[in-house]
Amino acid sequence: MEPERPIAPSTLSVKDLPWQILWDLDKCTLCGKCTAVCPVNAIELGVFRKRILEPPTDITQETVTDFRSYFGIRQKTDPAYRCVGCAMCTMVCPNDAIVPCRTDESDKLKFHVDQGGQPRRRGGRRNVAGGVLDRLKFIRISMLTDPALDAGRHEFELRTLLGRVLPPEENLKFLSANGWIPPVREIYPLIIGGMSFGALSPSMWEGLQMGVAYLNEEMGMPVRICTGEGGCPPRLLRSRFLKYVILQIASGYFGWDEIIHAIPEMKEDPCAIEIKYGQGAKPGDGGLLMWYKVNKLIAAIRGVPTGVSLPSPPTHQTKYSIEESVAKMIQSMYMAWGFRVPVYPKISGTSTALAVLNNLTRNPFAAGLAIDGEDGGTGAAYNVSMNHMGHPIASNIRDSYLTLVEVGMQNQLPLLAGGGIGKNGNLAANAAALIMLGASGVQIGKYVMQAAAGCLGSESDRCNICNIGLCPKGITSQDPRLYRRLDAEQVAQRLVDLYLSFDTELKKIVAPLGRSTSLPIGMSDALGIDDPNVAERLKIKYVV
Amino acid sequence: MDNQQADNNKPPRVISGNFGGNRVESRVLEEQIQEAVSRGQRSLEIQAYGQHGIGGRLWRAGAEAIQIKISGHPGQRVGSMGFPNTFIEVLGPASDDVGWLNAGAEIVVHGNAGNGCANAMAQGKISIAGNIGARGMTMTKHNPRFAPPELWVLGSAGDYFGEFMAGGIAVICGHEAQSADNVLGYRPFVGMVGGKVFFRGPHAGYSQTDAKLMPIADEDWNWLTENLKAFLQRIDRTELLKTFCDKAKWQLLVARSAQEKVSSPMRSMPSFRTDVWEKELGQGGLIGDLTHLDRTPIPLITNSFLRRFVPVWENRKYAAPCEATCPTGIPVQERWRLIREGRVDEAVDLALGYTPFPASVCGYLCPNLCMQSCTRQISALAPVDVTQLGQASLKAKLPDFPPESDKKIAVIGGGPAGISVAWQLRQFGHQVTIYEVAKGLGGKITRQIPESRIPQKVITEEMRRIEKVIPRINLQQPLGAEDIAQLKEDFNFVVIATGAQKPRRLPIPGSERSVTASDFLEAAKANKTRVGKNVVIIGAGNVGCDAAAEAHRLGAHKITLLDIQEPASFGKERQVAEAVGAEFRWPVFTQEITETGVKLTTGEELPADTVIISIGDVPDLEFIPEAVVTENGFVKVSDNYQTSDEQIFAIGDVVRPGLLTEAIGSGRIVARTICDILDGKRPAIAKRAMIDRQRVTLEYFDPRITEFADLDHCGSQCLSCGACRDCGICVAVCPQAAISRKGLENNNYEYIVDENLCIGCGFCAGACPCGVWDLVENTPID
Repeated sequence: MEPERPIAPSTLSVKDLPWQILWDLDKCTLCGKCTAVCPVNAIELGVFRKRILEPPTDITQETVTDFRSYFGIRQKTDPAYRCVGCAMCTMVCPNDAIVPCRTDESDKLKFHVDQGGQPRRRGGRRNVAGGVLDRLKFIRISMLTDPALDAGRHEFELRTLLGRVLPPEENLKFLSANGWIPPVREIYPLIIGGMSFGALSPSMWEGLQMGVAYLNEEMGMPVRICTGEGGCPPRLLRSRFLKYVILQIASGYFGWDEIIHAIPEMKEDPCAIEIKYGQGAKPGDGGLLMWYKVNKLIAAIRGVPTGVSLPSPPTHQTKYSIEESVAKMIQSMYMAWGFRVPVYPKISGTSTALAVLNNLTRNPFAAGLAIDGEDGGTGAAYNVSMNHMGHPIASNIRDSYLTLVEVGMQNQLPLLAGGGIGKNGNLAANAAALIMLGASGVQIGKYVMQAAAGCLGSESDRCNICNIGLCPKGITSQDPRLYRRLDAEQVAQRLVDLYLSFDTELKKIVAPLGRSTSLPIGMSDALGIDDPNVAERLKIKYVV
Repeated sequence: MDNQQADNNKPPRVISGNFGGNRVESRVLEEQIQEAVSRGQRSLEIQAYGQHGIGGRLWRAGAEAIQIKISGHPGQRVGSMGFPNTFIEVLGPASDDVGWLNAGAEIVVHGNAGNGCANAMAQGKISIAGNIGARGMTMTKHNPRFAPPELWVLGSAGDYFGEFMAGGIAVICGHEAQSADNVLGYRPFVGMVGGKVFFRGPHAGYSQTDAKLMPIADEDWNWLTENLKAFLQRIDRTELLKTFCDKAKWQLLVARSAQEKVSSPMRSMPSFRTDVWEKELGQGGLIGDLTHLDRTPIPLITNSFLRRFVPVWENRKYAAPCEATCPTGIPVQERWRLIREGRVDEAVDLALGYTPFPASVCGYLCPNLCMQSCTRQISALAPVDVTQLGQASLKAKLPDFPPESDKKIAVIGGGPAGISVAWQLRQFGHQVTIYEVAKGLGGKITRQIPESRIPQKVITEEMRRIEKVIPRINLQQPLGAEDIAQLKEDFNFVVIATGAQKPRRLPIPGSERSVTASDFLEAAKANKTRVGKNVVIIGAGNVGCDAAAEAHRLGAHKITLLDIQEPASFGKERQVAEAVGAEFRWPVFTQEITETGVKLTTGEELPADTVIISIGDVPDLEFIPEAVVTENGFVKVSDNYQTSDEQIFAIGDVVRPGLLTEAIGSGRIVARTICDILDGKRPAIAKRAMIDRQRVTLEYFDPRITEFADLDHCGSQCLSCGACRDCGICVAVCPQAAISRKGLENNNYEYIVDENLCIGCGFCAGACPCGVWDLVENTPID
């Protein structure tokens, strides 16, 4: 800022910002790449004036004073152009002359990101590192007590069931009474959670779908991916790949007329229908795809005109009670595919999850329950919703599972856990822990963005600008100038890599437990933690 | 050692594993066998009762051969850790782990063998005259110091055969196999890293990542046939040799090398995309039907239409702050440009296009809003001194005026506002007539402003220039309301510029003892008045300050200016008043003007020989026609100074009290509005928006310059906000060499960007001293 100008309450210095650009005059070659690539224009070429004073060694001589100016990279301090720490500048710098660094203290910007009375909104995840999932240990190591299993050599049955699994006698009763039993799918327990076409760029979406198809058709892994709310491209609806897809219906109902129109032409049924009632990252809040993101492509897929903002309200508009919500929606969605496709609701992690579960147990159509914990990610939400709203997934899943055990239905209603799985990179360990706490499968999102597309987000509030369409990696942008940075084929390849490595890691976990014939769902005797309170809460072993 | 001289022809010793009906412990049997060998026994017959590890570890025989014949039921691990020269023959079937960790023994089993046969064997030969169980030939090694181990199986292998096999040769003859359709069992060779396997018969798959089939070379075949014969002899089945010598039935499987394993057998993603993905979905994949946009990958740094940002050379798109804040609208920075280009005359002359008073007002009387707003000020640099340029304008050359049209405009009032509008209208080529009530033109400028502020000759010179330009000037023409009606008849438009002539008076006792500032200044200027020793001036604004200066000139000793609040006076007027020693007092309230002085509400009386009231003037609106709406004593006008009578405009102090430059500026606006109306256009005072000062770069200028030597110095230090200085810094700073200067006709030029080189870094915008370059978002693609 100009030192001669008056300051305002929101006048900030570089020191006050969360990310500070460290720039090296000696190394910089002034190539312009950093300013060209910066997604938020946080840096610019600056002209700096420098005073050169040359005092004489002879006091009788005058001191020479001179001014020079030089060019360099200047960081803007206007909150509207704050550095988001993505470090794309570092990535393009040929001389390693520039790098953003996280401030060493709590930043002052957080008190000023509400200009105009508009609270901060962002994408990404809760800015809280750590979590209980990483602390759970697998303590039941079978060496001699059970057949010792070799993760690399033995065959493992790692598939899980999605759908209402009725006990055999009830199945028979059902069949004779109704001529129908609930459909059940045998799928891979690591599911790609709902991320819409719109929230994700075309490259990202196609890459994920292609990778899933590859895993199914080349690797024989029945991996499933949820569309999120934003419709499904017509070609996918009419292809055999649809069977790898879980179609999501949420409060905005975008793209559903296109899906309905496609039903007569479908070669395959979709894997399942997910009814989204809530999202872990922003529980109880809706979404809004801003008009400027609704380009021709998005509009065509969602079945709307271009340039119109698309609101997904926090709640479904025509449901007034839990009974009605569950019964009405599940019934309708079953009917659409002739009762051949499992339908399950997804809710955000909440202390009221058991009420929902309780309701589902009494509905023979309910194919499962997905719970999305507070560590889930999102493309856009209010900061306060992301950081402060929601319920941790571990105890939510545990309580739900133990409730099912109590009523003897733990093998009947699959629970899917989501939110923060692999948030610190420990995907298989987190997934296995949740499975042993009682989940039949887990849903991941952010991990896929990071592993398959190089998302830069972190719990240090790095980047997190998914909401403004400027994703520097092209993951969440609808601008071809950005999303073409991402190669769908490479995303697909990375997805395959991550699934294969997950598969190995999961085996490395279940083999020492002596499990190979089925997923260790609810095998909580294998879990321990060095915190007696957590142990007591989750009903697992306390180990030190 | 005597055991080495043992007699091989000694009859075999029989050791029973059963003693008195009880099974002999494995430990005891082992001791008995070892003892017999150490005593020179080289041929043993063991009647086994399930004992463990029979026949292994017989190193005490050294290089001499030991024959062990096992009848009955041997336990697990027959011949385990077997030594070279140990020859074991099991007369019936064997249990698990035959030849476990075998280090050289030759073992023949005349029946089936259980699981784990040859597990971890490193040397020696095992021959099985039947089938073997699961995990045969697993973990076998080949130590280069010795010959590779061999496992010969007459029948078939069980499941998981050859896991982690790291060396050795296995031969599976497939004769009377346990499963006729699969002689290698389920999932063989997982983790195999070395060795080879000959097999005869069908298989149901094996670990492709670890093993591969090879054609059987002659050398291999020779080895196989030769050794088959020996194997069949060992197991007494030579009759099978002929059957086994059908090469077509045999296959050879070897471990893949580490390098071969690296090459994954997975389909490549590009191939999957083309041959599976797009084949099912159609050309262009998932959304090929919905968009025809190119979606191929691009690098992070792009140019042309793929740039995210585009530089724009916005030369003169925005007004410099000096121009934008000058009510007269003089493009000051343009004049400095002309100075820089050495076109001093043009710089000076240019002002006459905007004002008839470039010297008097810009050079002396104006508070110079242009300088106050100068961008240099935001960095505490001294603003460029425009008064130098103003004063030089006295010598400005008059432009050529167009011939007069038949459109006539009457201007009532020959003060700064009236002269301005007449001057402008004349420039536009219309007929203008000024009606002035006084004896001469100029209003306040000529009559009231003290000479201390401006030399008389400057005014005289400029008035002469004005009179030359405006041909029709009617002096001493007081007009009434009826005259205005007539003027409306005779002229297309009437402009009222009569100023604020009526001084405000104080409603206090003794008010008649005071003189109004305008009367005083006018009389003083004409040297027709005197003052006493003590002068009190009520009202300490700029006019009061002028009065103080004049009072001093006329001989006052003590001058006091009073105000009810902090005086609003500023600039040169204030400086002059302070310089002559005038005292400013505030807040004070006058109660009465007495014969001896001014009495304040506090009771204090200031001695005064002369009291001057300077609390502002108001317009005299008596002659204004009723159709012209007034408000609070002033004429009410629209943004372009039109009154409620469309034919009548009003400008200057009659509209609101203001600066001279504001009066002159309002004249310009009205002149242009009238021209627009006469041209049948909607009047639009198009004013360029002011440039964002942040765009201008001050760092190229020396902050220690506080005074300017001359016009050239001024010109060099002008930032030229929003107008290109043609300095070429952008060309130099562009890292891509994308910017170039293009000469145009008439010495004009422009800077252009080669979009094929530009990456949109914005360096040009960052470096531009004038803020001409901007970086804007590229046109959206969709």
